[in-house]
Amino acid sequence: MIEVRFHGRGGQGAVVASELLAHAAFRDGKFPQSFPFFGVERRGAPVTAYARIDDRPVDVRTSVTAPDIVVVLDAGLLRRVPVTAGLRAGGLLLVNSPRRPEELAGLGPFRIAAVDAARIALRHGLGSVTLPIVNTAVLGAFARVSGVVSLDAVRAAIESFSPARQVENAAAASDGYTDVVTAEVGPIPELGPASPRTVPLVLPEDPVASRSSETLPTADWRSLTPVIDLGRCTRCNFCWKFCPDNAIEFDAAGWPVLRGEFCKGCGICAAECPPRAIAMRAEA
Amino acid sequence: MTRLVLSGNSAQSYAARLARVQVVAAYPITPQTSIVEKLADFVADGELPAQYVKVESEHSALQVCVSAAALGARTYTATSSQGLLLMHELLHWASGLRAPIVMGVVNRAVAPPWNIGADHTDTIAQRDTGWVQFYAESNQEVLDTVLQAYRLAEDLAVRLPVMVNEDAFYLSHTVEPVDVPDPATVDAFLPPRTPRAVLELGVGARVGSFTGPDHYVEFRRQVARGLESVLPTLTEIEVDYARRTGRDHGGPLPTYRVDDADAVLVTMGTMTTTARKVVDELRTQGRKVGLAKLRVFRPFPAEAVRALGATADRIGVVDRSYTFAGLGAAATEVRSALYGRTGAPTVASFLAGVGGRDVTPQIVHRMFDALLSEPGTGPAWMDLEAEREVTVRG
Amino acid sequence: MARLTIPAPELMHSGHAACPGCAPALAMRLLLKALGPSTIVSVPACCWTVIATPYPTTALGVPMLDNPIEATGASISGLRAAADALGLSDVRIVGFAGDGGTSDIGLQSLSGMLERRTDAIYVMYDNEAYMNTGVQRSGSSPKGAWTTTTPVGERSHGKAEPKKDILGIVLAHRPTYAATLNPSFPEDFVRKAERARDLRGPRFLHVFAPCPPGWKYSSEQTIAIGRLATDTGVFPLYEVEEGTCRITRTMNALKPVAEYLRAQGRFAHLNDTDIAEVQAEVQRSWDRLRALARSAERPWPPTLSPPTPA
Repeated sequence: MIEVRFHGRGGQGAVVASELLAHAAFRDGKFPQSFPFFGVERRGAPVTAYARIDDRPVDVRTSVTAPDIVVVLDAGLLRRVPVTAGLRAGGLLLVNSPRRPEELAGLGPFRIAAVDAARIALRHGLGSVTLPIVNTAVLGAFARVSGVVSLDAVRAAIESFSPARQVENAAAASDGYTDVVTAEVGPIPELGPASPRTVPLVLPEDPVASRSSETLPTADWRSLTPVIDLGRCTRCNFCWKFCPDNAIEFDAAGWPVLRGEFCKGCGICAAECPPRAIAMRAEA
Repeated sequence: MTRLVLSGNSAQSYAARLARVQVVAAYPITPQTSIVEKLADFVADGELPAQYVKVESEHSALQVCVSAAALGARTYTATSSQGLLLMHELLHWASGLRAPIVMGVVNRAVAPPWNIGADHTDTIAQRDTGWVQFYAESNQEVLDTVLQAYRLAEDLAVRLPVMVNEDAFYLSHTVEPVDVPDPATVDAFLPPRTPRAVLELGVGARVGSFTGPDHYVEFRRQVARGLESVLPTLTEIEVDYARRTGRDHGGPLPTYRVDDADAVLVTMGTMTTTARKVVDELRTQGRKVGLAKLRVFRPFPAEAVRALGATADRIGVVDRSYTFAGLGAAATEVRSALYGRTGAPTVASFLAGVGGRDVTPQIVHRMFDALLSEPGTGPAWMDLEAEREVTVRG
Repeated sequence: MARLTIPAPELMHSGHAACPGCAPALAMRLLLKALGPSTIVSVPACCWTVIATPYPTTALGVPMLDNPIEATGASISGLRAAADALGLSDVRIVGFAGDGGTSDIGLQSLSGMLERRTDAIYVMYDNEAYMNTGVQRSGSSPKGAWTTTTPVGERSHGKAEPKKDILGIVLAHRPTYAATLNPSFPEDFVRKAERARDLRGPRFLHVFAPCPPGWKYSSEQTIAIGRLATDTGVFPLYEVEEGTCRITRTMNALKPVAEYLRAQGRFAHLNDTDIAEVQAEVQRSWDRLRALARSAERPWPPTLSPPTPA
């Protein structure tokens, strides 16, 4: 049995990807299982989905804690979400990233593959610059590097079950299949045992929550970051006034300063800035 | 102390007044209504300086109490039957938020067909909500138990809501003498509430919250811990109450003539009085029978039941409800408590008094007869229409 | 630095779990700026249940109580009763509920709270569908809107029924104060919330709350779409105090509703005839509102006597 864990952000299609993988595997004659982890399904918030593929009916119904393959739909998640938790040494880590897989080698003793799925998605008009829908391009790449499903099955699954834009999504899958690059780095270790997983032990007394949510940075939610051109800024405060995340503050002279750890990149400040002093930029 | 002739419902109202409740939520339902009417009079006459909130449903009645308790107030409401069923969702909120609400429940049958007679189906259906449940036998016990319930609910180890249940009409509308303690006696027994884990003005804290699997089970465990503290705490409370008032209701499972009994009947609520008289009659005939009153149904006094089972050969459990689940609800609990004990007694399940039907001495005799001869595994419906001679009108 | 037009102190924390561009998050931020720290907020099941972040964290700098979806009105009645009983005199009791939790399942509890004249502020943030469960229609969804339970297909053209007039229902209870608020107009928003803060008795704030994923538009458009809603007359800004209605954003001519509708994917299926129908209905409502505001007549149903002072 192959166990797969998908990490994405709300709106990127991680849950749909895991479902499409199940449909594709079924077409290949396998017994699939796919399910999402139900947490906070917010656009931009980290989400997790699981898939299992076997030659016989899947006989386990738990979260995937020791995956053979981890798929990361958003490279921004690598910074804070422990995406490789439990991934077996020698397991496959597939990341949506414009970077070379060699540059991701620091993530651990895994086979690392990278595909620039955002670029593929935008080329096919899937999603927006702020939130490209990358799941199908990543699935195409998955077919290539995992060998678990065929590209034909992935395309067929997309054409039958993709919620929208089947033609473009199938084309994105083909491009993902073509474009994905696997790192040729050093000897891949033998598939080892699952790495240990730690869970913080908290025994709460009462359902009373008093820790500020500012202990939960949301920087990972954004794809684009507002960049303020102080040369054009008139200090009108519109960016501050309209920010749903309270992510703009002022310095001593009254110039707006981005609270980068909390900005979700919604773009309201840029859209509402009267002198157009704010631009939304991809982070370096 | 004053001795007054009070209905069970008035006993609830007097007790709430003596407890100096701060918020009362009121919604009418037969046969509960006179409880909140009496409290309205107390408030109107300046005898109870409480906020009296006239709500538009029982669901809102309990929400008012939950929210008021979450801000630290001592709260009271009362309901019955359909009203309690409508509250079901809020019952879970009350225990989950550790809100020490005390609620009077007049046990009444559940529709359809409409029936306002005594029946425990309404409260038995709430047994899994984390509330403490008392079933009273007399109006005196109603009054005393409401006062004890506040001490228990607000005990920092417990911090859980409590229902004080009384049978419709057999207590709710029955008047009998009741000793009403002096306010000073009650004040000494029941000091003002010391709230914990409640909303505090100016403090950014969320009461209730939401959580995934990572914390939820711990919160449930805490509620369970609160329930586990109930019976030991009740023992202390009853000792103190007895010291101040001279009355002791005997813990969660008070017994009567069980020491050498071969057969013991377990009863709840008002049928206990009748059953006690039958025990005396049978004893004069030399039959070794006894009685145990299930005064606390939640948390279930399994230890006390096991102590009972250590001496009795046969236990019959009478349920004034039917839960469509094989045995009666209390019988299931009793049998479960005794499971796996060597020499455990036979446990028979009887259903009697459902829908306000009288549990007569004759019926109690029949239950003891069955218990002493060939007890079936049950449940035995003691008083089905088809088995009785009835007078048909018209 | 330009003078701030709304209060500086923040009582809503960052790090909350709202979607990017979430108007209900901005609405909470603005509301708490107006009400200040002596506030208790009761929140039913709604987006804000999740926005407020999981245990052990909270996104509010004031106490918050969770309550079940249909019971917000009762919850704030209970909080006020306790505050009175405990002698907490200077405290704002607030219910903050979604449109489903208010105008559908919570209507009874809201009506009870208004009728018993609870001294509290009930805020309905209206994102026009059950958004926390993933965009199902509510009684407050507008006619024509796509939702997952009013899909667009051969035999379905979005929601078939018009939006429930929650403010009309509320006004029939003769509240001390009722107003429409829109976070696209923060100064008007804060002024109305402050007015509500300074009054006693039942107060109701109907907050327009655009939702990027539910309404299918890009997150940076939230403020612009909210502004269009008001400027097209879809969501006019007004307040009713002591029975007197006042429009707080006057407009000589309405912008065409097409500008508002075409900006949102949930209305993408509407054709020109549909849009003309919406335009006519919006114009009728706007004319009615203006007539009401011009006349001295109170918007209470005419058969009712004026309210007795609380």
